[in-house]
Amino acid sequence: MIQLSRITKSFGRHEVLKGIDLNVGKGEVVAILGPSGSGKTTLLRCINFLERPSGGTVAIGEAKADGKHPSKKDIRELRLKSAMVFQHYNLFRHKTALENVMEGLVIVRKIPKEKARAKSVEVLEKVGLGAKIDAYPSQLSGGQQQRVGIARALALEPEVILFDEPTSALDPELVGEVLEVIRRIAKEGITMVVVTHEMGFARDVANRVVFMDEGAVIEEGDPREIFAKPKQERTKQFLKRITPEPNYSI
Amino acid sequence: MKLDPAFIWTAFVKLLPAIPITLYLTVISVLAGLLFGTGIALLRIYRVPVLSQIASGYVTFIRGTPMLVHLYLVYFGLPAIIDVVSESFGWSFRSVSVPYFVFAVIAFTITASAYMSEVVRSGLLAVNRGQLEAAHSIGMTTPQALRRIVFPQAFAASLPNLTNSLIGMLHGSTLAFTVSVVEIMAKAQIVASTNWKFFEAYLAAALIFWGLTVLIERIAARVERRINVYNRGGVA
Repeated sequence: MIQLSRITKSFGRHEVLKGIDLNVGKGEVVAILGPSGSGKTTLLRCINFLERPSGGTVAIGEAKADGKHPSKKDIRELRLKSAMVFQHYNLFRHKTALENVMEGLVIVRKIPKEKARAKSVEVLEKVGLGAKIDAYPSQLSGGQQQRVGIARALALEPEVILFDEPTSALDPELVGEVLEVIRRIAKEGITMVVVTHEMGFARDVANRVVFMDEGAVIEEGDPREIFAKPKQERTKQFLKRITPEPNYSI
Repeated sequence: MKLDPAFIWTAFVKLLPAIPITLYLTVISVLAGLLFGTGIALLRIYRVPVLSQIASGYVTFIRGTPMLVHLYLVYFGLPAIIDVVSESFGWSFRSVSVPYFVFAVIAFTITASAYMSEVVRSGLLAVNRGQLEAAHSIGMTTPQALRRIVFPQAFAASLPNLTNSLIGMLHGSTLAFTVSVVEIMAKAQIVASTNWKFFEAYLAAALIFWGLTVLIERIAARVERRINVYNRGGVA
C-alpha cells in the first residue's frame, strides 16, 4: 500500500532522514517509535508531502511521486489517497465539527452537500460526538477535537490514515478516549501509520513497530517480540527509558 | 466673531447631498485597495521572485509619501500619460473627458492598496500554519485552501485593522477637494465662503464625519461579533 524508498530529508546541513525504506501492506497498522528528534514525524509528513523529501520516492497504491521533483498532480494524488491526524488537531477553527468533516467531502470529493452531511454525521457519531456536531473547535476539549480530527480523516475513506502523535498534546485523562477510537478503526482494517509515544498502544494495536533513531530505521518487527526482546542496543536503551509505561488500554 | 447656531443646521442640511460622493470615494478605493492589497500581500508572503521585491518597493514608497502627493501625482501625471497613449493609437479620446472623481479614486486606490496590503499580510500571518497543512492533507489545492480556510480566518483577524484603515480613508478622502471633487469638505468650503460662516460650516462637516465614523464602528462591531463566533471558547 505504502512504499517509501530511499527517503532522505535535510534541513539545511542537518540530515534528518538518512535514506529510509518502508513498506506498509494493505490493512496493516504500523507504529513508528523512537526518541524525539529521530525523524519519525518528518518521515510521516513526507508521505503526504507536507514535508518535501530531499530524495527518494513515495508511493501510495497507484499514486507515486518523486521526492525531489514531484509534480503538483503527483502530490495531489498522494493526498487524495491519504488523510492525516495532527498532533495539534489543526481543525478548521472557523468551522463547526460537522463542517470540518464535510469540508473535504464537498470541496475535494465533490459529493453533494446532503449526502456529505449524512456521511459526516454518521462518522461523527462513530467517534462518539453525535451530540457535538454544531460545536466549534474552541468549544471542545482536546480529546473531542482530536476525535473530530479523526472523523475528518475517516470520512474521506482514504487508503491510509497518517497519525502524527495523536495524543501527545492531550491531557493525560483524555488520552484514553482518543486511543480507544483509533483502536476501533484499526480493527476495521484501515491501513494506518502511527507516530506515537504510547508504548502500550503500539504493543496492542500495531501489527508492526518501527524503531527510528537519528534518521534511520534501527529495528522493526512484531511488537510483542520487539518489546519483549529487542535486538539492537539503542532499542533496548529507549525501551528501558520509556518503561514502566502507564497502560491506557481500556 | 459671533456664533450662529442656526446656520450649523442650515449648513448641515446643505452638506448632506455631498455624502454619497465621499462614500463612493471611500468605498471604491477601499474595496479596490483590499483587492490589490491582498495580491501584494500574497506576493510578499510567498516571496514570488521579482514581483515580491516590486511589491515591497511599492509599499514602502506609497506609505512613505503623503496621500496628497499621490493625488497630485495622479492628477497631474496621469492625464499626460493618457493623452500620449491615446494619441499614439490614434484614438480621439482625451483626458479632458475623464471626470476628476476618477483621478481621485485612482489615487486613493493606490494609497489604500499599500496600507491594505499590510493589514491583509498581518491577518494572513495570524492564521496558524497548521490550518493550511490540514487543508492540504485532505486534498485541497492551495487556492482552495486559501479561499475556504485561510482567508476567512485572516479576515476575522484583521477586522479591527480594516476598520481603522476604512476610517482613515474616509477622512483622507477629504483631500479630493483639492482636485475639485465636491465631497463633504469641498461642499463645506463652498457653503462657508458664500455665507461667510466658516466655523459653523466646518462644524457641520465635522458632525457628519463623526456620524459616518460611528456608523462604520457600529457595523464593524456587529460584523466582528458575528464573524468571531468561533473564537468564543467553551471547554478548552
